[in-house]
Amino acid sequence: MYATADMLLTSTPAHAAEQTQEPAIEVVLVRAVLQGDREGFSGLYDRYAPLVHGILLARVPRAEVDDLVQDIFLHAFKKLHTLRDEAAFGPWIAMIARNRAVDFHRRSKETVEINDDLRGSEQHDSRAAEILELIRSLPEAYRETLVLRLVEGMTGPEIAARTGLTAASVRVNLHRGMKLLREQLGYMEGL
Amino acid sequence: MNDDYLWDKSGEPDPQIQQLEQILGTLRYQPKPLALPQRRNYFPLLAIAASLLLALLAGGIWLRVRSRNEAPPQQARVETPTPKPTEAPKPPELRSALNPPLSAPKRIHKPRSASSVLPAREREEALMAKQQLMLALRLTTEKLHLVHTRTQPNQIKNQHRVG
Repeated sequence: MYATADMLLTSTPAHAAEQTQEPAIEVVLVRAVLQGDREGFSGLYDRYAPLVHGILLARVPRAEVDDLVQDIFLHAFKKLHTLRDEAAFGPWIAMIARNRAVDFHRRSKETVEINDDLRGSEQHDSRAAEILELIRSLPEAYRETLVLRLVEGMTGPEIAARTGLTAASVRVNLHRGMKLLREQLGYMEGL
Repeated sequence: MNDDYLWDKSGEPDPQIQQLEQILGTLRYQPKPLALPQRRNYFPLLAIAASLLLALLAGGIWLRVRSRNEAPPQQARVETPTPKPTEAPKPPELRSALNPPLSAPKRIHKPRSASSVLPAREREEALMAKQQLMLALRLTTEKLHLVHTRTQPNQIKNQHRVG
């Protein structure tokens, strides 16, 4: 799958630093947290919660997303000392979010499948939920990038800087994903 | 197709993308405070542990002191090594005096434990003093025996006379 190959084209933190100034800020915040400043982690949370929210929204039911965001950041807070590259906080927590989404589906299969009530909660915002379902049906690399762009309102360079993907990969994913989404939306009325 | 707006929201806006942003924006992340776990204050636990430790130590010391006061006095155990069979050198005049022709009862004198503890030189001196004392006692015993034998026949003679 070429979509997965695009996901693997990750940029180095130095490359990301050239794109935006964020890595420098996150390095300061990560160091502050490691030195005992808990407020520093609130800064990381405010900065990266939309990223984690978008990654989860592309993979798990909406009703579970908010709790999982909290769980992921609490996990990250406890395991922050294991982060080798302080500039790579974004890719690190993005990977945690993706792994947590995989765990969620694995556990859901072990217990019960996602029932109608869980799906029903997503039907309240029917229009948005329908489009989100279409995005979720796209390949993984496209769906995550599109959710971050269209739902969370992040620009391509921001997505690249926070996820660790190269700008070229993000641009390709956005372009191809949007093309596929337009084709899907052709079956829907009003769009 | 120019996708600058899709890339970084620059250039001419794409109405379809704008509409999608408007619809999907309702699902956007709503900021919520993160509840970090409270720092664990270990001071109360440490204080309780230290108090228990002190109480245990105090109890142990009290029990030990109490058991010492209640226990009967015990003699200190002194281990006595087996005496060596070496005999102290005896002067010839003492040896003859110690082995008189009289059938004196032989006593086996076990060496005292204290003497074995003494150094060899002091032990020899103590043995010499002991032998001299024994010689004096034997001489006195023989004198008394002689007196006794001299006085005894008269008594018997007198008894015959009476009888």
